[in-house]
Amino acid sequence: MKSSLSKLRKRSHCRRILVISTHAFTQLARMKVFYFLAIFAGITLASNFFDLPQHAGPEAVGANVLSSIKSWSLGAMTLFSVVLSVVATALLLPKDVEDRTLYTILAKPVPRIDYLAGKLLGVLLLVFVSLALMDLLMVLALQIRTSMVVAEQAAMASAMGYTPDALASLRAETLANGPNGSLQGAVLVVFFRAAIMASLALLISTFSTSTLFTTIVSFAVYFIGHFQADARDFYLQAGQAGQGGFSRFASLAVSLVLPDFQLFNVIDAVIEGQALPWLMLGKIAFVGVYYALFFTLASWFIFADKEF
Amino acid sequence: MAETTPAVEICNLVKDFRTSFRGRPLRAVDGVSIRILPGEVYGLIGPNGSGKSTTMKALLGLLVPTAGQCAIFGKDSLRVDSRDDVGFLPENPYFYKHLSGVETLRFYGKLCGLAGRQLKDRVNELLALVGLEDARDRRLGGYSKGMLQRIGLAQALVQDPRLVILDEPTAGVDPVGSRQIRDLIFKLRERGITVFLCSHLLEQVQEVCDQVGIIFQGRMIREGRLDDLIAIEDQTEIVLRDARPDLVAQISVLVAETPGTTLVRTGKPRTTLERLFLREIREEQR
Repeated sequence: MKSSLSKLRKRSHCRRILVISTHAFTQLARMKVFYFLAIFAGITLASNFFDLPQHAGPEAVGANVLSSIKSWSLGAMTLFSVVLSVVATALLLPKDVEDRTLYTILAKPVPRIDYLAGKLLGVLLLVFVSLALMDLLMVLALQIRTSMVVAEQAAMASAMGYTPDALASLRAETLANGPNGSLQGAVLVVFFRAAIMASLALLISTFSTSTLFTTIVSFAVYFIGHFQADARDFYLQAGQAGQGGFSRFASLAVSLVLPDFQLFNVIDAVIEGQALPWLMLGKIAFVGVYYALFFTLASWFIFADKEF
Repeated sequence: MAETTPAVEICNLVKDFRTSFRGRPLRAVDGVSIRILPGEVYGLIGPNGSGKSTTMKALLGLLVPTAGQCAIFGKDSLRVDSRDDVGFLPENPYFYKHLSGVETLRFYGKLCGLAGRQLKDRVNELLALVGLEDARDRRLGGYSKGMLQRIGLAQALVQDPRLVILDEPTAGVDPVGSRQIRDLIFKLRERGITVFLCSHLLEQVQEVCDQVGIIFQGRMIREGRLDDLIAIEDQTEIVLRDARPDLVAQISVLVAETPGTTLVRTGKPRTTLERLFLREIREEQR
């Protein structure tokens, strides 16, 4: 005999993942992680005062301060998002095992992949919301400051007798350093890097029982990820030893498993006022999704047979 | 028609754990078989480290058996859908301290596919059942040990399971909380829910269970109906209320005159320390 409730149950992977992810988000949010936004606001405000002295001329007025706001803000976003994604993910699984709450969840009809995906999405949701709030603060600061710089430049250029064309060109150049689509693309790049780090921390935490170990190993991989492309190229070009089939295969294998974080350095170009091509953003999105899926599936492979 | 598929069927369960890289594996459970029919309350008793929790974890699919099979209502325990009709309360559960009682039950209810009005009604019903209506919006971080056990029992029941597995349900709980949990187990039995509990508190098991298994060093050393196991077959008990001393003397004489019968003991039956404690507390509260 089935109970009356069992007939009415709505079950799907998506639904369960959503329940676990919103719960993980709530759990982390109630750990007061959003307090770091106050620090970010402080950094954004402080970056307004980094206007280095320049040679005379309207082009130089306020040029540094706009780059400074973007540089400090995107730097802080990278730091917060990577730390948050690694530490939060490293914390969630061992804590559930230690408190035995994992038993109560897995004793329900919850597939282990749903549990893992839910936890990861919860962290990603938290990172996304955090980045969105930081982005809002950055755009606000940058918008106000860009308007001030444009007005200041226009006044100085008019006084110096600039032609209307030169004025328009100067204005366009300054606005390129203000809030625009490329800047939003750069924030997305920060998010994809954090997504890779969160899924990597998830993988490590499936076989590690300590938050500290997961955090240290994740940051070690992050560090290696910034140099692995250089090291690989150097090895492949270093004489005949690097030209063999095995070396090329090993190099490919390393690329498939370890992300090349140098790809994400496009943010630096955006800070300098260059546009972020859609194709590059698409490539970074693909790389982000690939590694996030790869690490999550590897986590599942280990977690599916894990005994508690 | 009565259901004939056993609620729990464990056949020759063996579970080994690796102790070190090249060391001999530790056999935690060695050929244990248990069969529990729907509606029964089964108690697995044994000292600490005898294999009780390992058996339960294997039944819930949290451990993979080294040998043997476990099934819940005919479904292999390693299948996710075998947990459709199971509620589990682990030993000393902590749950999520950041959630309130209501949020905890909603979370587990949603995991089981409940939603909307149905979920809301079920949560209210369970909070009433475990007596936590007053603490429904309080975070679990502020719950006492007994309250945590009761909210744990409520989460185990959230999807209205046909089988409830309780691992040391009264461990660390004071006598009042322990009594409340036992009363809840009685309620479950009245509703026809199968209960599989393990404990090393023998009095508790004796009070609530129909069937008992004794496990020691991973092996099932005795199993059967509780009444059969603990009855002293060659003795008969008569308990009298307000009996005069001369009546007791007459009975003693009658017994003495009957060949082959021996009067073993007369005297006043004793209550348990737990009953005395609960009675005194209740009187103090009035």
